[in-house]
Amino acid sequence: MRNSGYLIRRFLQALLALFIIATLLFFLFRLGLPDPTTVLVSEGLSPEQREDVRRQFGLDLPLWNQYLIFLQNTLTGDFGTSFHYRAPVSEIIWERLGNTLVLMLAAIFVSYGIGVPLGAWLSWRRGSSVDSWGIFFGLMFRSAPMFWTGMISILIFGVWLEWLPTSGMRTLPYEATGFWDKILTLDFLRHLILPAMIVALFYLGSPLLIMRNTMLEVYGEDFIEMARAKGLQERSVLFRHAARNALLPVVTQLAVTIGLAAGGQVVVEVVFSWPGLGREILNAVRTSDFPLAQACFLIMATFVIFLNLLVDILYSTLDPRVRLS
Amino acid sequence: MCRGKVASRLALCLALGVPVALQAQTAVEPIEIITTTEAYDPIRYEGAYIIAEAWRELGLDVTVSPTEFSTLLSKFYDQQDFAVTISGWSGRVDRLDPQFYLGTLSSDNAVMGANNPGGYSNPEYDKLFEAQSREFDQTKRQEMVHKLQEIAAPDAPLAILFHRDEVVAYNKNNFENMKAMAGEALYSEWVPMEAKPLTERKTLRYGGPQSPDNINPMLANTVWAWKWMRLYYDRLVRLTPDVEVKNWMAESVTAIDEQTIEVKLREGLTFHDGMPVTSADVKFSYDYLVNSDYGYFNSYLTALDNVEILDDLTVRFNLNAPSAPFGSITLSQISILPKHIWEKIENPMELAPGDIPTVGSGPFKFSQYTLGEFMKLDKFEDHFHADEIAIDSVEFQIFADSEGVFTAIQTGQIDVTAWRMEAGQIPLAEQNENLEVVSVPDFGYYHLTYNLRKPHFEDVAFRRALTKAIDRERIVNVLLDGRGEPGSSVIAPVNAFWHNAFTERLDYDMEAAKTELEEAGYSWSSDGKLQK
Amino acid sequence: MISPALKEAFAPLRLMLQDRLAVVGLIVLTMIFCMALFAPMIASQDPFAINEDEDGSVLLRTDDGWLLQPSLGQVALNDTASRAGEDLIVGRQGSLWTRTADNWERVDLPVIADLNGVAMTDTGSAIIVGGDGALLLRTGTDWEVVTTDQTVALNSVAWVDDETALIVGQDETILRFDVTDKSLSPLNSPLGRGMTLNAVAKDVDGTVLVVGERGVAMRYDPASDAVELVRLGSSRTLEDLHIASSGTALAIGERGTLIRRDGPDGKWTVDKTPDSRGLMAGWIDDAGRGYAVGRNGIIMERAPEQDWILASTESERHLRTILVNDAGAIALGSDKFVVRFASPSAAHWFGTDHLGRDLFSRSMYGSRIALLVGFLGATLVMIIGTNVGLVAGFYRGKTDTILMRTVDVMYGIPFEPFALILVLLFTPSLGIVILAVSLLTWRTTARLIRAQVLSLRERPFIKAARVAGASDLRIMYLHILPNVMPLVFLELAITVGVAIIAEATLSFLGLGPPQSVSWGGILHDARLSGAWRTAWWWNLPPGIFIMMTVLSVFFISRSLELVANPRLRARR
Repeated sequence: MRNSGYLIRRFLQALLALFIIATLLFFLFRLGLPDPTTVLVSEGLSPEQREDVRRQFGLDLPLWNQYLIFLQNTLTGDFGTSFHYRAPVSEIIWERLGNTLVLMLAAIFVSYGIGVPLGAWLSWRRGSSVDSWGIFFGLMFRSAPMFWTGMISILIFGVWLEWLPTSGMRTLPYEATGFWDKILTLDFLRHLILPAMIVALFYLGSPLLIMRNTMLEVYGEDFIEMARAKGLQERSVLFRHAARNALLPVVTQLAVTIGLAAGGQVVVEVVFSWPGLGREILNAVRTSDFPLAQACFLIMATFVIFLNLLVDILYSTLDPRVRLS
Repeated sequence: MCRGKVASRLALCLALGVPVALQAQTAVEPIEIITTTEAYDPIRYEGAYIIAEAWRELGLDVTVSPTEFSTLLSKFYDQQDFAVTISGWSGRVDRLDPQFYLGTLSSDNAVMGANNPGGYSNPEYDKLFEAQSREFDQTKRQEMVHKLQEIAAPDAPLAILFHRDEVVAYNKNNFENMKAMAGEALYSEWVPMEAKPLTERKTLRYGGPQSPDNINPMLANTVWAWKWMRLYYDRLVRLTPDVEVKNWMAESVTAIDEQTIEVKLREGLTFHDGMPVTSADVKFSYDYLVNSDYGYFNSYLTALDNVEILDDLTVRFNLNAPSAPFGSITLSQISILPKHIWEKIENPMELAPGDIPTVGSGPFKFSQYTLGEFMKLDKFEDHFHADEIAIDSVEFQIFADSEGVFTAIQTGQIDVTAWRMEAGQIPLAEQNENLEVVSVPDFGYYHLTYNLRKPHFEDVAFRRALTKAIDRERIVNVLLDGRGEPGSSVIAPVNAFWHNAFTERLDYDMEAAKTELEEAGYSWSSDGKLQK
Repeated sequence: MISPALKEAFAPLRLMLQDRLAVVGLIVLTMIFCMALFAPMIASQDPFAINEDEDGSVLLRTDDGWLLQPSLGQVALNDTASRAGEDLIVGRQGSLWTRTADNWERVDLPVIADLNGVAMTDTGSAIIVGGDGALLLRTGTDWEVVTTDQTVALNSVAWVDDETALIVGQDETILRFDVTDKSLSPLNSPLGRGMTLNAVAKDVDGTVLVVGERGVAMRYDPASDAVELVRLGSSRTLEDLHIASSGTALAIGERGTLIRRDGPDGKWTVDKTPDSRGLMAGWIDDAGRGYAVGRNGIIMERAPEQDWILASTESERHLRTILVNDAGAIALGSDKFVVRFASPSAAHWFGTDHLGRDLFSRSMYGSRIALLVGFLGATLVMIIGTNVGLVAGFYRGKTDTILMRTVDVMYGIPFEPFALILVLLFTPSLGIVILAVSLLTWRTTARLIRAQVLSLRERPFIKAARVAGASDLRIMYLHILPNVMPLVFLELAITVGVAIIAEATLSFLGLGPPQSVSWGGILHDARLSGAWRTAWWWNLPPGIFIMMTVLSVFFISRSLELVANPRLRARR
């Protein structure tokens, strides 16, 4: 079948893209970034002692040798040992990834949960002042950088009103047996509110406008005119017919957004001290922690590439107007 | 020595009958100042621009290159690819001994990757430096150390910009008897042992942006790991807040001769798992470090030849050469590990985080560690010092940056800041009636190092002139809000015993700087550019 | 062929003018553009200028702390002397004030030198010393300038007896001044290292104590007319010395140095200091109640037998001297101090930041980087994105696959960490910021353009062109491109907004070009300094500017969207 051939080809291409990214990063880091042991000089280590550390890191091997080891390990799902933490990378990043995803998914859920119906409603009231204000606010939060809205929200809700905690995921100290134990608490929810709200507000504009605009487009389509002609109620036209058909671009956008979610919003993690993947990757690059940085980049890339692939496939399956290949 | 070079060149010119003044002069090459990014350290960043401005007044072309810290270190130490770099040394308590800082000017360390990247090399200095490190007599050593500072100062191999005060805060409603220590502020080994709780809660909660890189004592390479681990691993001696050697696990430390030190342990010491601490553990710990690839403490151990067990509680350290810092620094920095646990570990460098032993014999015992978030220790009731300790446990909360720490101390989530506050936070902390702000002078220093291998920088007059053009006073007053002091020597004034207050300071004086250049044969072109 | 395209090009403008939000956007964007163009004229200051003020500040001690009083002009006040019914205050540039009760009066002196020290006897005889060897004497009511052969700065003066005074200054200058014949006799310094001597005070046993740089202390004995070294136990530079009538004494200096002596025979001991910054003047009474004032508005107070504590005071002015009498205590200053964290005022509309830089000027200049990166970055994105989209969509097949999978690879790279890598590889600069922004945003444009091209290439007029034998290039750029232009413009507008936010984000993370003024950078400073919690004037304007700029671009883009997608116009 032509379809399955296409799927396999796209899947292989996605893998190839990942391989290219991994290779690119591997050489970029090793040739471009400073030696990870340099920072130890300020701790008083002599050149010989640093050489020992380089040996422990496997940095004394020829580059192609390191590259082969890296490829081999990555294929078996082993990301190596973090230079900074001296612990297996996988132990560090899964937790961080979880932290990032839980924040981003909550924010995406809220923004789409509000944005989609609101967009539909605005399209119904198009041209009215409600429509204008809706667009205005949607775009306003889209226009304000998140680090700024984040800082302002900390100022208002954290410092002045003292309603909500402003940093971290939990009030320290806490004891949790695992990830779910950590986040299935009221305390976590309180920590989640501000950062999730800020991200959600930023994201809100996109489902809102896409929904509104596609709805307007759909109104122009023949079958809606027909439905109207049949004398159906406007409201029923809106929800039964138009909305259902307008959802596709929104779903597409949603998938793309989720794909980018693993990368998180670095500034939000910085402003709210959220222990996520985005902050970890910045630190890893800054300290030349190659294995950790590579793993973070790869995970983010995997997410994006496969969700984009999913979008393409979804699109081609759901919308007959788009032809495959 | 550098002066000698210039003089000899002059002499050569004269001998050949070439009138010096008639030589065609060329403009001095542009100078690049490498400094940190604003995000890493706004002080060094802004300071570089203040310095560049002054140097331009001398007729130099100056650019400032703010560089990410790891790249800066790499250019500075590994490649020695710089003309001028602004960097710093942190003041760790073991650096109160002058050995380390003086060593940064020794020519032995001028090789690539070592800690004298400027390449200052002065045989007189080197000789005296060697001599002082072997000198056992404190008064004589002090004289030598003072002399060393006197030798280096006029050569201006680097400009000591300033010593920055560590400004920290603690919650005075929750704890008292918090005594700050130079270089350590309130995150010293003594504060948890001395703090007196004022409320029901007997847990002292620290907060800071730095997390230990590791809690494996055979891998930890940062001071932040050891600041924490020293609370649960004990040492033979400890340095008091006044930096005097205090016998700790040791009941007595006796210097048999210049190369032999005998240590007798207290009776009844035990590890946290109940096993007794014996001289075998001491020997094991020292041997273990010496025989491993782990380098963090190697510089302290180079003088050690072997450790001999005399009886259950007595060991003898045999040194291969007299070493002044061994009795104080080495004995106070090396942790005693339980032999019965570590000898069973095959490859200590490759322990999984969950398998790292945490049994020590210190006044606190390990309780919890969540990577990047939280650490906790409990008081060890069987420790000989336990009766003096008023708290039940110590916690350390790890934050993303100093902003998070500051919010936490303001809201009462933590009791003490482990790391300094930012300039803008200090006035807020002072206004907070629950907080006590403590300002502690540091004996670490921030410096501007000249690369003596680069043209003109080998010329001592050039360096002196450039140094005199740096308004260190203004940097301290404007950028540090007065919380620090201009530097004059690698040994800080707060390290009063070793600091030489009467070295040449090369204080800010533009006129003197220009005169210095003129006398060294520099002149200014018609458009004001410096040339030679 | 040309004229419809031209018409097409003007269509957006016409449509835009019908859209209320777009008109607002156009107006705001024009304003921001003007801001950027005329920043040097609008801004009140150089955005890098550190604002420093010198001020004749007076702080009065009250029960609520030390409160700022009306200023005595724009020069610093350096020293005071006091007797019953009269206070003398001297300052820079030959300024002299007298105070009787609460009445301040400026006295005109025929000198312009900085006046550093003043001393007065109970009978009203007074001596003032200052820079360039300035020396003034008042025996009756009038001041008279005594000419000296000194060129160094004289720092302090004290009466030895009614006829004699001791003057000290730079370079270990010690002078005995005989009032009767107005003669100066230099005394030999026992040290000879060229140290600056800062203060002199008469001790209760009739000798005179001198202190100065690096803890130097000397005692002058009038009986032998000689000076000998003494030790006070500190190598800190001492700035001032005060000895109470019973012999309780206080010397203060740099780094919060407080050295105290209880009674005439007591030992000098270094007191624990509550602040490590420099002290400039001190005062102590017989019982041991004391004050010390210094840099950055530090005032320390001491109750008898207690530790020194910091008093609540102003936090920037550098206090130089202190005046204590029956009426109370006042602290005076100030040398040039940095006007930091100042809230909005007539002089600084948006206040100042942690280095005393004018935030209004910085905000104005900030518009330049935002617009530069926004438009330059977006243009670059458009050029890359449009061409990639055109080529991929037009040729399809292998070309398309390769280009689109490249887009996939680009999608897989997160923005901020990648920008950090770029900064680490090169050095932070405007070019890197623009490069980072464009490298990572062209992917969206390329995809959109490609999709459009894919549908266009099947349209009859393209097929016609092909049949007519037009070359690929011709078809792509003459036939297809004009038709995707509305979409390109729409994407351009959106990308401008995205690029501006991206630039702000990089600057906020500290990856922006150094020593450039940008809105994100101002917010970066605010957060870094820790003062953003209180200094709302520092936080709000840059964020609002970013929001306004991006919002206006988005509004404009919305009406462009109507052009690109006529169906949205349906039933308008």
